[in-house]
Amino acid sequence: MATQTESESSGGVLMRDRLVKRVGEVAAGGFVLAIGGLLVWILSTQVNYELLSSPLIARRFAEAFFLVVQIVVISSLLSVSLGVLVGLGRISTSNVTGRIAKGYVEFFRGTPLLFQLFVIYFGVPRLWATGEFPFSDWAIPAAIIGLTLNHGAYVGEAIRGGIDAVPDGQMEAARSLGMSRVMALREVVLPQAWRNALAAIGNDQIILVKDTSLLTVIAVPEIMSVFRNINSNQLDPWTPLVWVCVLYLAITMSMSQLVNGLERRSDWGSDSRMFGRLSGLGSGDDADGGEKA
Amino acid sequence: MTGPLVEFDGVDKSFGDTQVLYDVDLSVDEGEVVVVIGPSGSGKSTLLRCANRLEEIQGGDIRLDGRSVIETDVNAIRQQIGMVFQSFNLFPHKTALENVALAPEKVKSETGAEAKEDAADLLDRVGLADQADSYPGALSGGQQQRVAIARALAMEPKVMLFDEVTSALDPELVGEVLDVIEGLAADGMTMVLVTHEMGFAREVGDRIVLMADGRVVERSETQSFFDEPSTDRGRQFLSRLL
Repeated sequence: MATQTESESSGGVLMRDRLVKRVGEVAAGGFVLAIGGLLVWILSTQVNYELLSSPLIARRFAEAFFLVVQIVVISSLLSVSLGVLVGLGRISTSNVTGRIAKGYVEFFRGTPLLFQLFVIYFGVPRLWATGEFPFSDWAIPAAIIGLTLNHGAYVGEAIRGGIDAVPDGQMEAARSLGMSRVMALREVVLPQAWRNALAAIGNDQIILVKDTSLLTVIAVPEIMSVFRNINSNQLDPWTPLVWVCVLYLAITMSMSQLVNGLERRSDWGSDSRMFGRLSGLGSGDDADGGEKA
Repeated sequence: MTGPLVEFDGVDKSFGDTQVLYDVDLSVDEGEVVVVIGPSGSGKSTLLRCANRLEEIQGGDIRLDGRSVIETDVNAIRQQIGMVFQSFNLFPHKTALENVALAPEKVKSETGAEAKEDAADLLDRVGLADQADSYPGALSGGQQQRVAIARALAMEPKVMLFDEVTSALDPELVGEVLDVIEGLAADGMTMVLVTHEMGFAREVGDRIVLMADGRVVERSETQSFFDEPSTDRGRQFLSRLL
C-alpha cells in the first residue's frame, strides 16, 4: 500500500474520494430505481399472467429448456476437451501441430458462428448424394458440432494463455527432477494453466449458452423458437419474453456457480498469487524479497 | 572411484551470436564443495544450467562419473543432478510434502506411501516437518527454498547445484537456508554453488572458482583465495567487495 506522504493534500484527497463515492452511489441507485420502475410497469401492464402460467406454454418452454440444457452440457464438455487439445497444440514443439492449431483457431474465431452453423447444417449434407446422408434429423448434431468447433477455438486460446502465464521456472524445475516434458506438462504446468484459464473458460461457456439462441435459424426447437411461435400466435411479446429471460438466466447462473466452485477448489493457499509473482521473476535480477515472512 | 565426479571439459556456450562461456574447464571431486563466484553476467549460472542440460552447449563436453551428460538420456542424467534455483520454483498447486514426493513417485516409480515417507524425512532434515501440509504460498521465502532443497535431494542425486539460492531472500531469511547447505556439506554431499555470499563461500567452500566474462580466471583453495588471490582479477574482485 502506498502511503499518502503529503499530509496537507491528504485531507482534500479524502474529501474528493468521499464525494466520488457518494456520486457513484447516487448514480447507481438512480439507475436501479429507473430500471426497477420500468420493469414493474412492464410486468404489471404488459404481461398476461393467465398466458404466462398456462400449461401449454409452460410445457413448450420446458421442452425447449431441456433440449438446450442437453445441447449445452454436451457441447461444453466437448468444446473444453477440444480446447485443451488445441491449447496443447499451440505450445507444441512440433511446427506442424502448432500451425494447424493456429489455423484452426484463426478460422473458427474469425468467422461468425452463424456462418459455421450454415456450413454444417446446409452445406455438409450436400456432400452426399441425394438421400444418402446418414442423419435424418441433422439439426441437433449440426448444432453440437458447430458449438463445439467454435468454442473449442476460444477455450484453446484461454488454455494457451493459461500455459503462457505459468512461469518458465516451473517447467525447468520439473525437468530438472528428471521428468519428461509430457510428465512435467501433465503434473506441473497444466494444473496451473487450468487454474489460470478457468475464468476465461467460464466466460466462454456462458457465451456458449447464449449462442444456443442462434440455433433457431437451423430449425432446432430451442427457447427463442418457442418465443417466436408464441409471439406470432398471440401477438404478445412480453409474456413469453419473461420465460425466455428466466430460462437463460437459470442456465447461465448455474454455469457461473459451477465455475466459481471449480475456482475455489483450485485456490492453493492464501498467498499463491504472491508466490506466482515472485517466481515469475524467473532469473529474478531484482527480486527484492517481497515475500511474506 | 577414480577421476572427478563432475568434469567440465572445454565448454563453449553461446546464445545466438553472443558467446557466454569460453573453453571452461572445471572438475569437482566426490564430496567436494566448489563455490563459483564472479561479477554478474560472468556466466556462472549458465555454467550450472549447462551441467543438467537446461542449456545446450556448443563445444566441449561435460561428464558425470566419467559419462558424457550430452550423450546420455537427458531425463536419466537429470535424476543424478539436483538443482536448486534462485526463485525456488516450487509447484504452487502442491503442498510442501507433495512437492518433495512428486518426482520420486512419478519418475522413480516409488509407491505413493514410500515417496511420502521419504519426503517427510527430508522435510524433517531441512527443519520443516511441521509445514508438510502447507502450500508454498503460505511459506516464507526461506522455508520455500528449504523445501526446494528437500525436493532436489529426494531424487538422491550424486551432485547438487545451487544457483544463487539466497539472492531472492530477505536478509534475515538467508541464514536458515545456508544452515541447511552447510549441513549437506558436512554430510559429504558433492556440491557446486553459485553465490554472492562471500562469507558463506569462505565457510563452506573447499575450492573457489572465479569467473569473469565467460572464462574461469582463477581457481584456488578457499583459504588461499581469500588470503591472497593468485591473479589480478581475483585481487580486483575481492577488493571491490571489501
